[in-house]
Amino acid sequence: MGDAFRRAESGTQLLARLEGRSGLKSLEPYLFAEEGSPVHGDVIEFHGPEGTGKTEMLYHLIARCIIPKSGGGLEVEVMFIDTDYHFDMLRLVTILENRLAQRTEDMIKQCLGRLFLVNCNSSTQLLLTLYSLENMFCIHPSLCLLIIDSISAFYWIDRSNGGESLTLQERNLKKCANFLEKLVSEHHLALFATTQTLMQKSANSAESFFPSKLPHETDTDYRPYLCKAWQQMVTHRVFFSKQCNSGNSKRFTVTSCHLKRNHVVKRSFSIAECGVQF
Amino acid sequence: MVVLRAGLCPGLTEEMIQLLRANSIQTVVDFVSSDLEDIAQKCSLSYKALVAVRRVLLAQFSAFPANGADLYEEIKSSTAILPTGSPSLDQLLDSGLYTGEVTELMGAPGSGKTQVCLGIAATVSLSLKQHILFLDSTGGFTASRLHQMLRAEEEEEQLEALQRIQVVRVFDIYEMLRALQELRERLCQQVVSSMEPLKIVVIDSVSAVIYPLLGGKQSEGLAIMMQLARELKTLAREFSLAVVVTNQVTRDSSTGPPKPALGRSWSFVPSTRVLLASKEVTLEKATTQRIASLAKSPRQAVGIQVELDIGSGDVTPTERL
Repeated sequence: MGDAFRRAESGTQLLARLEGRSGLKSLEPYLFAEEGSPVHGDVIEFHGPEGTGKTEMLYHLIARCIIPKSGGGLEVEVMFIDTDYHFDMLRLVTILENRLAQRTEDMIKQCLGRLFLVNCNSSTQLLLTLYSLENMFCIHPSLCLLIIDSISAFYWIDRSNGGESLTLQERNLKKCANFLEKLVSEHHLALFATTQTLMQKSANSAESFFPSKLPHETDTDYRPYLCKAWQQMVTHRVFFSKQCNSGNSKRFTVTSCHLKRNHVVKRSFSIAECGVQF
Repeated sequence: MVVLRAGLCPGLTEEMIQLLRANSIQTVVDFVSSDLEDIAQKCSLSYKALVAVRRVLLAQFSAFPANGADLYEEIKSSTAILPTGSPSLDQLLDSGLYTGEVTELMGAPGSGKTQVCLGIAATVSLSLKQHILFLDSTGGFTASRLHQMLRAEEEEEQLEALQRIQVVRVFDIYEMLRALQELRERLCQQVVSSMEPLKIVVIDSVSAVIYPLLGGKQSEGLAIMMQLARELKTLAREFSLAVVVTNQVTRDSSTGPPKPALGRSWSFVPSTRVLLASKEVTLEKATTQRIASLAKSPRQAVGIQVELDIGSGDVTPTERL
């Protein structure tokens, strides 16, 4: 079905697409457990309770992408799907102003021209929007980062709409996950999605529906609740938490896990006017 | 789930729908996610026609991406910062209440949430001459207190200011959702014909209508709460309103720090959160001093504290923004 919509690529478009891909390795090395991440095809999940810096980290990644190469950025385009109406444009502009050497309006507009934003109101609309965005990825070859904030936003509403049947409850998200997998592999994207810690971890892990096999899951307050199709797609999981220090400076911790290779790394960062600082 | 029916979009005829239904394609999602070449063969329909219908359906039901630069222009021109009536609270909120966002005031009973809400209503009505919608779910709204806050003004101005504040008493979640629906209809009309501007909605309190729904193993309560959250955020964003809600506090243990009530799912909803607490005094008598601290903010560092006096509440007109 994709072939009917994909136009023939010109040589320059192909080069632009491939250049954009290799550049992602320098996106944010502190965030990943292994060197050389992320690569196209990676699906990275940001998980954590509220106020732990997930959205700020996304602004940081967006800024790294849309700032031109002359300013130290990657100069690639980003597609941001906002399901929570949480995106704060003014905050992103403040971060850009702090990071750019020339803070002119034109420069900011040029950077923002590389960002595309969509708001989705329901999981059905999210699914249909993903279908319609497929065309955009064909037209914009330098669009190589897809961000969804957050993919768990419709969880309770879907669960209530699905009634008693788990299959019905998860139907939309499963379709979204399957289509996202297709999009990510066909168009060579990297996908970042945030999920919220909506539930407390059950005290007795034998009771939990999905038994945790990986070591990192026992430390952090992680209880998987999204559908299996999504969980199997994720290649990296990054847990966010606040550091409870006695000092005044607010620091946050990221625990980054590479799921296939089982590497775990812990790093800390703080949030300043110019965004995330490691 | 939108079901396919004739006339949903041009090109979708009744015979087409019957043929599709015979192949178990009933909703828009089914149609969009199926392989059109396959369908064209099975239903013996024209592939071109199917592609055209698909394109129109997607344009109708999916969200349209906006470019960052255009969105920035729009937000610059439509965002306003509203004063709360208390300069120290304004300072805490980075010059005031931002439109397009949900701000939460949380505090124990008696910490001054309703007083601050009344102060906001009085200030916005008096100095900015704008309309306010006040949804009262606790019965704590008293017009006489508002009148007292405005007593420094001339009588005519007092009357006008009070007339601009619309109070709706809602005592359960469905009444609240209905009031918000009416607000939405009114704002849609306002966009078309420039009627009186409304820039702020104050909800005191949101926990009073949601508490009865939570608890137990059913998730319907949480689903309705998230629907309310979604409605508030969409209203704030689409019509550039500042939405102020008040909430209770709970603690994890008797000595733990206060956290907002209504659970984890609600905690993601507001962009800014302010904790109101009484100032600890050595004397036994009640005081009108309160301490407001910033618990969550998209712009400022968390933990800033300011002192408020909710007693005098004389609203002095601030400069127009």
